[in-house]
Amino acid sequence: MTTNGSLLLLAMILSPMLVGAADTNQLLPPKQAADHPNPSGPVPTEARRIALQTAGAFVNDGFRIRDGEWPISLSPGKPVFLEVTLFAGNSYWFVASSVDPVSRLRVTVYDSIGTPQKGEQWKDGGERSGDSAAAGVAPERSGKYYVGVELLESPRSGGVDCCLVYAYK
Amino acid sequence: MLKGRYLAILAFMAVCVHGAPVTMTAAQKESAVFLDALSVPSPGEVFSALNRSCRPNWATLVTTATAPVTTERAQLALAVGVLAADGYIAVEAKEGQQVKNVGREIMNVAKSLGVSQSLMGRGNSLIEFADNNDWDALADELEATENEVKSTMVGQKDRDLVTLTSSAAWLRGLEVATGVVLGSEDVRGASPLKQPELARRLYSQLELLPDRLKGSHLVSGVGQVLEEVATLLETTGLSKDQERENLRRIHEKAAGIVQSIMASAGSQSSPTPAITPEASKEKPPASASTPVSKP
Repeated sequence: MTTNGSLLLLAMILSPMLVGAADTNQLLPPKQAADHPNPSGPVPTEARRIALQTAGAFVNDGFRIRDGEWPISLSPGKPVFLEVTLFAGNSYWFVASSVDPVSRLRVTVYDSIGTPQKGEQWKDGGERSGDSAAAGVAPERSGKYYVGVELLESPRSGGVDCCLVYAYK
Repeated sequence: MLKGRYLAILAFMAVCVHGAPVTMTAAQKESAVFLDALSVPSPGEVFSALNRSCRPNWATLVTTATAPVTTERAQLALAVGVLAADGYIAVEAKEGQQVKNVGREIMNVAKSLGVSQSLMGRGNSLIEFADNNDWDALADELEATENEVKSTMVGQKDRDLVTLTSSAAWLRGLEVATGVVLGSEDVRGASPLKQPELARRLYSQLELLPDRLKGSHLVSGVGQVLEEVATLLETTGLSKDQERENLRRIHEKAAGIVQSIMASAGSQSSPTPAITPEASKEKPPASASTPVSKP
């Protein structure tokens, strides 16, 4: 194998790790998320359970979880978007989870014209079954925003069941 | 040196493989999902923002919760929204008995709507949390109760009523929030309330309702208020006095329609009271049920 080929292979292997490291801001690692056997298989309700478990960490910091969820089926390279209404002065965490432990998710908050917003990112280290990612924002302006959820990687060819929840304070 | 070059290449590859988030395309914005349970803010979110900007005296904002006596399903669905928002006010005021009263009224309305079967447990939880002064749990339970009423509506092929409940809850929250801001020295606290897009979205959803619902004078009144409020919220470049006047008009419109929603059959006032500039200058902010709090 040539040096260039080796480099390319190494880059392909390490790139997810680098992105994971960039995404990971261990502000509020939800360590209380326990093992969760899933005998019923990958169903949306299980994704919701993982999402709520992950969002539970933010409750400890005074956040309140909305009683609603967005069940989604994601495919790689096809992000999906949810319209939300945010208030200046409030803080928000949007949490997406899947039941697939090897899939990798990304959550991004966009303003009303579609510009990605700067904020905090939290990423599950993949130590447990299921994958979670979260984006935190404290909008300066009230109004319409979009939350994008995308599947960065998945070994599956079909859709991966995910669920989005959010918390505010 | 070689190591540094490798790292640079790896970093470049990482960006190429996954890339940083980019600006949304018009098609992506068009395809964005609007979900009642998440896209419409809960009254709790509105009040949370209000707490940061104004610190309202919530105890003065608590009102007697009485569901309207009516058989009109549209009005009952609207009343659930108003009652849910009233419940949040009671939670903010830490008035346990009032939360229980609101819970009881929501159950009564749910019974009238025929969606009460699954709600008995919710009612008991509200009572238990109120007795224990568990305010966070009460707020969660209120939203869960409202959502359970909505999901039962959907299950009973009454999906159209859900929009009415959400619209009424938002209008009641807006009425309270504008009342609080008007009671303050300046109107800077109004900035979190600037949600014209949401008002337009709710209005456009009402426009999609079937004619049998749109024929209701209350539903058309709610739609009219949402449209007028959206226009007022969109107005920019106002002086401080103009901003205050603008807020007062929004408050009066919201208060008027909330009063109509909660009025029992046979005693309904006009859902959209005419407000002339002259009248609004002479009178203090008239609220159906919310006193304007003093700083």
